[in-house]
Amino acid sequence: MKDYIHLTIEELHQAYLNNEVTPLEVVTQVLDEAEKDTNNAYEYICKERALEQAKNLKEEDKGNILWGIPYVLKDNYSTKDIPTCASSNILEGYVPIYSSEVFDKLEKAGAILIGKTTLDELAMGGTGTSGHLGKTFNPYDPTHERMIGGSSCGSAATVSSGYIPFSIGSDTGDSVRKPASYSGLVGFKPTWGRISRYGLFPFAPSLDHVGYFTRSVKDAASLLNILAVYDEKDATTSSKEVKDYTKGLDGNLKGYKIAVIDEILNSITDKTVIEEFNKTLKILEKEGAVLSHVSMDIDLVKAIYPTYVIISCCEATSNDANLDGLKFGLREDGKTYEEIMTNTRTKGFSTLIKRRFVIGGYSLLKENQQELFLRAQKARHLIVDAFNKIYEEYDLIYLPAAPSIAPKFSDASDTLSDEYLISDNYLAFANFGGYPSLTLPIGFEAGMPLGGNISGRIFEEDKVLNASLAIEKNLPYYNLYAKKETK
Amino acid sequence: MKEVSIKLLKETANSLMFDMSEEEYALLKGEFDTIQKQMSLISNLKGLDEVSPMTFPYDVEFTYLREDTPKEVESPEDALKNAKDVIENQIRIPKVIK
Repeated sequence: MKDYIHLTIEELHQAYLNNEVTPLEVVTQVLDEAEKDTNNAYEYICKERALEQAKNLKEEDKGNILWGIPYVLKDNYSTKDIPTCASSNILEGYVPIYSSEVFDKLEKAGAILIGKTTLDELAMGGTGTSGHLGKTFNPYDPTHERMIGGSSCGSAATVSSGYIPFSIGSDTGDSVRKPASYSGLVGFKPTWGRISRYGLFPFAPSLDHVGYFTRSVKDAASLLNILAVYDEKDATTSSKEVKDYTKGLDGNLKGYKIAVIDEILNSITDKTVIEEFNKTLKILEKEGAVLSHVSMDIDLVKAIYPTYVIISCCEATSNDANLDGLKFGLREDGKTYEEIMTNTRTKGFSTLIKRRFVIGGYSLLKENQQELFLRAQKARHLIVDAFNKIYEEYDLIYLPAAPSIAPKFSDASDTLSDEYLISDNYLAFANFGGYPSLTLPIGFEAGMPLGGNISGRIFEEDKVLNASLAIEKNLPYYNLYAKKETK
Repeated sequence: MKEVSIKLLKETANSLMFDMSEEEYALLKGEFDTIQKQMSLISNLKGLDEVSPMTFPYDVEFTYLREDTPKEVESPEDALKNAKDVIENQIRIPKVIK
């Protein structure tokens, strides 16, 4: 029998239209693969529900591109009657009574939820190590020594394993785009406000974005057609007209002006990353784009990471105050309600989360707020102004998505080095300014994938997708997954 | 800015309604040394105090004033479904007034 479970969304959709295979046959095989997962990618597998849904799909809806397409959802999206714990013990036993808008839209489109995936606890983290089930592994490294990155680690691991065509993640600093780089995937975060965040557990709402993983750029465009919406349940969604993002997607870059920021590129020490990146610059030029190396104030570039840390920790400290042990989730005993809250939060949060909350709490102290939180928000303003200035002249910014292949869990970063402060963490600029930003595979080193990242002006997802397609069609990484890697 | 000490970190954690072990506080104190060095990168930015704090990625057009149309709301049973201790449609906690 032909292999139907390693197809892209578009290919599987075509197979359904041709009556080559049924959703039930595909979902049965996909569930089988999911149950054999060795990467610690799942919080919960919805076996019975998925099979039931596959049986009950209506033939007349077959024309919908997501009809019968299996997918997984990061476990920080609310799913009615399906356990959701955001990989945190504090949400032990929590079963939401409402669904996120993203889940609702995918359900209505006929996509089939296979399971909920692991994340760094409450989406705070970039290593895929802090969830309550432990480390999530990179499918490209069977020795389990290398990380897949986070926080959307499980969502990346399933798509990168090949048997799930797309997954939903969330991206507050780079939580979709960095794991995409480490696992050879297309990882896309559209403009802040383009997709509803209703029912996505907030981490830092001024930075949180819905994002997702696919194995082709066209699939990323098709998904945006489904997910982009003005939603009155999320006051931060935009009422700007939603485009057809697959229309005009041809990789022709005539008239595109693309900037490469030297201060970020020059902070990378890995020669292979630079070589592979330079090859893609030639591709962009060949497809008609005009490329320019531009310069940015290096102090601003170095300030991206500390600005991110302060703002995100402050917002998280406030947002997660509702995890109190009383209304839902874990509840520990106590003689007073304060004791219940303190005992529950002490037991329910991991050390890493508590440390982040204290950083936020310290930055919000009356004596420190001006010096830390407000100054970080002002730094964000300067950083976004600097990027907007580049976007006045250029349509897109293109850079390596990360300075290296996926690091080993045992690797320690020098957190004050230029490489760490700049190229390892610069992607948060797109969260600061809400820019659409996409990572895609551009090469390999030691059998591990490397990614490039293209970011554009707000609400210009079409250009980001088109430039990404130009690269994809010139490289052998379309529908890339771990057992099929092209080295 | 308040000087970072184990005592201050403990007070901050307790005000956020949790506690940590002595080892965790010591680890966090070490992290603050790095954070403060990184924070100096923000303090040194030119023109920092000439701009306003940014709270949204771009000028957001809010749409708070939607039509006042009735909607289904969650039932009390549903709203309380996830609470561990419920009595007479209320979440039960230890007595506040003794």
